[in-house]
Amino acid sequence: MLKSKMTRRTFLKASAITGVVAASASYVGRGNISDASSIQDAEKIPNLCNGCSSRCGMTVTVSDGRVVRVDGNPLHSRSRGTLCGRAHGAALLAYHPDRLTEPLKKNENGEFEPISWEQAYKEIGEKLQTIINEHGPDSFAYFQNPKRVQRLYGDRFVEALGSANIFSHNASCNLSRDTGFKHVLGGVPSGDVANAKVTLFIGRSYGDGIRPSQLQNLVTAKDNGSKIYIVDPRLNSTSNLADEWLPIKPGTDLALLLAIANVLIEENLYDKEFCEEHGNRFEDFEREMKQYTPEWASDKTDLSVDVIKQVARDLGENRPKAIVEQSWKGAFGCNYENSTETARMVGLVNALLGNINVDGGMLFTSGPSLESPDNLKEPGELKPRVDGAGIKGEKWYLADTAKGVGNAVPDFVKEGKLKAAFCQHHNPVRNHPDYEVMKEGYEGLDLLVVVDIWMSETAEVADYVLPESSWLERTEAVEGLGGKTPTVNLRVQAIDKIHPKTKNFSEIMSELADEMGLSDYFTDLETENRTACEKLGISYDELLEQGTIQLESTWEPGYQGSNTESGKVEFACQAFEDAGFTAVPKWVEPKVTIPEGEFRLIHGKQNIHSHTYSTNIPKLAQISKEYNLDSVWINKKRADELGIKDGDPVIIENEMHTGKTTAKVTEAIHPEAAFYPSHYGSRASLTYNDDNGLSINDYTPHQYEAMSGAPNMMETSVQIKKDGA
Amino acid sequence: MARYGMLIDTIKCVNCYACSLACQTQNGLPDDENFIYFLEKEEGTFPNVKRDFLPVQCQHCDEPACEEVCPTGATYKDEDGIVVLDNSKCIGCKYCGVACPYSARVQLHDSMYKKGTYEDAGREYNYTVEKCRFCKELVDNGEQPACVTTCISNARIFGDLDDPESELSKAIVEKKAKPLRADLGTKPKIYYVR
Repeated sequence: MLKSKMTRRTFLKASAITGVVAASASYVGRGNISDASSIQDAEKIPNLCNGCSSRCGMTVTVSDGRVVRVDGNPLHSRSRGTLCGRAHGAALLAYHPDRLTEPLKKNENGEFEPISWEQAYKEIGEKLQTIINEHGPDSFAYFQNPKRVQRLYGDRFVEALGSANIFSHNASCNLSRDTGFKHVLGGVPSGDVANAKVTLFIGRSYGDGIRPSQLQNLVTAKDNGSKIYIVDPRLNSTSNLADEWLPIKPGTDLALLLAIANVLIEENLYDKEFCEEHGNRFEDFEREMKQYTPEWASDKTDLSVDVIKQVARDLGENRPKAIVEQSWKGAFGCNYENSTETARMVGLVNALLGNINVDGGMLFTSGPSLESPDNLKEPGELKPRVDGAGIKGEKWYLADTAKGVGNAVPDFVKEGKLKAAFCQHHNPVRNHPDYEVMKEGYEGLDLLVVVDIWMSETAEVADYVLPESSWLERTEAVEGLGGKTPTVNLRVQAIDKIHPKTKNFSEIMSELADEMGLSDYFTDLETENRTACEKLGISYDELLEQGTIQLESTWEPGYQGSNTESGKVEFACQAFEDAGFTAVPKWVEPKVTIPEGEFRLIHGKQNIHSHTYSTNIPKLAQISKEYNLDSVWINKKRADELGIKDGDPVIIENEMHTGKTTAKVTEAIHPEAAFYPSHYGSRASLTYNDDNGLSINDYTPHQYEAMSGAPNMMETSVQIKKDGA
Repeated sequence: MARYGMLIDTIKCVNCYACSLACQTQNGLPDDENFIYFLEKEEGTFPNVKRDFLPVQCQHCDEPACEEVCPTGATYKDEDGIVVLDNSKCIGCKYCGVACPYSARVQLHDSMYKKGTYEDAGREYNYTVEKCRFCKELVDNGEQPACVTTCISNARIFGDLDDPESELSKAIVEKKAKPLRADLGTKPKIYYVR
C-alpha cells in the first residue's frame, strides 16, 4: 500500500528536497525549528475557537505578544482537550494580510474609501433612521451567526428599532431540519451516540463536519461494540468507524425512513406504550405508514429490501438505545424538496423507538439561563417578520423562526419590503444558491452594512464595511452550552489588536446605538458578563481564568413532554395541515429528476474547512491544493463511460454555470451523485482564494422548499465531461 | 532513559489533518512544509468499498537509514531513542531524504506557495533537512507531542516502549498494532492499527 501510493509524495519530496534557501515568514508559532524549546514567559489564555461555528473551548499560548500555539480546553464539552485542523489554521487570522483596518464607505464610483468611525456611525445612523421613518422598522433586517454576543448587541439593536427580522446563516445549513424537528418533537435533540447500541447516520459525517466531542462519542460507541450505519451517497471520512455503508440514491432518505417506520410497526418492534401515551394522533400515522413497504423504498433508494429490513430490525430490537442521529446540514438540512419531511420522519422514527430523552437515546438537555442587567430597556412591540415565519396564513408559516428564510432576501428587496440590512459573521451572497440573484438582491438594498474581518462577496456589495477585531483579539459575551453537564464559556482576548482601528462587534453596535439614541438598551460587555455570572452564582474572574465552568447537571432522564402544539410527539401535525400539507409525513419526490447521463450535484463539508471563509487561510488552502481536495467525486463506472480518468481536468456544466475542476474517480460514491465540497469557488478579491475551485451555489438556482422555504441546495442536475473532449 | 514510540489507530483516523497542522505550528513550519503527510487507499468496487487513511511521519527507527548515511553525524538517535538532528552539523546534502524509506525528511526551503506574507518576524532557514522530533522539547518537559494532544479521535498514543505497563505498550498488544514496512529492517517505532 505504502509503495503503490508513493507517487505524489515522491514528487513532493523531490520538490522539498531540491528547494532553495530563504523563507516565507507567514506563520504562527515558534520563530525557528531549532528554537523550539526557547519559548519564554508564555501565557495561556482561554478562548473559544472560531474555526467553525462550534466554538470549541481552547487555550491560546502567547509569548512575546504572539500566538505560538493553540490547544483544546479539557473542561470544554465540545473540544475535550483536542482541536481539529481548522483551529490551527484559524489561529492565523489576526495576522492575515487581508484584514480590514478601518471603516470603508463605497463612493459614487463604486470604490471603497476609508472613513472615520465617527463619520461611519453618523451616516449609517442617519440613513437607517430615514429608512425606518419612511418604510417602517420591518424594512430593516439583520443577518448573523447566532451566538450570544450577536444576540446581545445585534438582535437587541434590531429589536430596539422595532424589527423582528433576524436571520441566521442556518437557511443554508439546517432550516429544513430544524423546522421538521420543531413541529414533531418541539426542538432538536442530541443523539447519545456514546451510549447507543445502534446509530444510524443520515448524511451526517462526524469526520468531515467535525465537532471533536461527537467524534469521540462515536469512537466510544465503536469501542463498546455499537453498531454504526452510515447512510450517504458517498463513503465519507467517518467510514472506518462504521459497520455498514448504505450508499443511498441522493434525495431519497425519506423513503428509507418511511420504510423503517413501516417495518417497526408491522413487526411490532416499536414502543407501543410510548407512542400511544405520548403521541398525538398516532393511529393516523400507523395507518399512513402501511403503504411504505421495504419493497417500495428499495425501488426509491437503490438499497436492497434486506438491508432496509435489517436496519429497521437492528434499531427496533435495540430500542430504546437505538437512534437515528439528528444531523446538521447533512442530507436533510436544507437540501431537497423533501428535507423537512425527512426531518419530521427522523424525529418520529426516534419516537417509535421510545428513545426520547433516555440514556443512549435522543436527549433534550438545557443550558444555563444567562441574563442581562435588570435596568436595560426592553424592546417594545415588534413588527411581524418579513418572511412570515411562524405566522399563520403566510407562505412559510412552518419555518423555524429562530432561523428565518434568509435566502429569500432578494425577493423581499425586489418586492420593496426590505430596504436596509446589517450583516455580521455571515456571507449570504456566496453561501446561498445563485450568486447573481443574491448579489443583485443585496445590491438592491438602500443601505447594507457589513461587519467583518476581511472582504466577503457580501461585503463587496455593501455600502459600508466596518472592520471587526479578529477572534483572538476580542473578549465576547459569556455563553452557555447544554448537555448532561452544562457549561458556561467565555472567549477572552488573547493578543493586542494588530490593527488599532478595528473594533469588537459589541463596541460597534453600542456606539452606533448611542448615535441613534438607543443607549438605554445596551450596556458594556464587562457589565453584561459580570451580571450573567453573578445571577448564575458563578465567578466571572474564575471564568476569565479557565474559560469554562462546568455546572451541576439539570438533566432528568425520561420523557418530559414536548414543546409542540399538542405538548406531545406529533405523529400528525395540525400545523402542516393548516399550511396546506398533510398532517402525517408522506413521501415527497425530490424536485429535480436527474436525466440519463447527468449527475445530481451534492456537497458536504471537508474537515479542514468551514463554510466558505476558510479557503482564504493559507495553511488550509495549502492542504486543499496539496491533496487536490477541490476535486469532484465521480463514480468509476460513470467515469469510464465518459472517458474520464482519475485526476483528469473536467468541465461541470448546466444551464447556470460552466466551470473547470479535476475528477476524483472513485468507487466510493453512488453513480447518480457527483460530490463537490462546499467551501470553494470564492469570488471575493482575497489573497489565497483566487483560482480555488468551483462553488456549488453557482450550479443551483434560487428556489425554495415548499414547507420551510429552505433553498433546496442539492436540487440540481449537471453534466460532467472531460476537458478538451 | 526511555524508548519512545507511538501508536496510530487508523480505524479512528478521519484524515482531518489536525496532527500535521498542530505540528506545523509547534515547529514554526511554513504552510507548505509538513513533517506528517497522508496516504489514502481505496479498495473494492461500488458498493463494497473501503477507504484507508494513513498518516505518515518519521518512524523513529531503532536503526535509522537516515542516520546511517549522514556524512557529518548531524542525524542521530538521542538517549530516549528519538531520531533528532543537530542543525549545526547538517550540511543540507539530502542523503537522509533519499535513504529514508518513509519519505519523512523535509528540507526547509522557500515557500512553494508564496503569495503574501503575514509578518516578517526575522525567521531564518538554514536549509537543514528537518524531521519530526516527537516534539522533544515537550516530551522532555513531561508533555505529549503536539500531534497527539490535538488528535480529535484520540487515535494517537505516545509513550515508552520499554515500559510494559505504559498505555502505549498495552495498546500495541491489545490492538495487534504493527509497524509500517517492518520488512525494510529499520526497526520503526511507530505502530499502526489498520
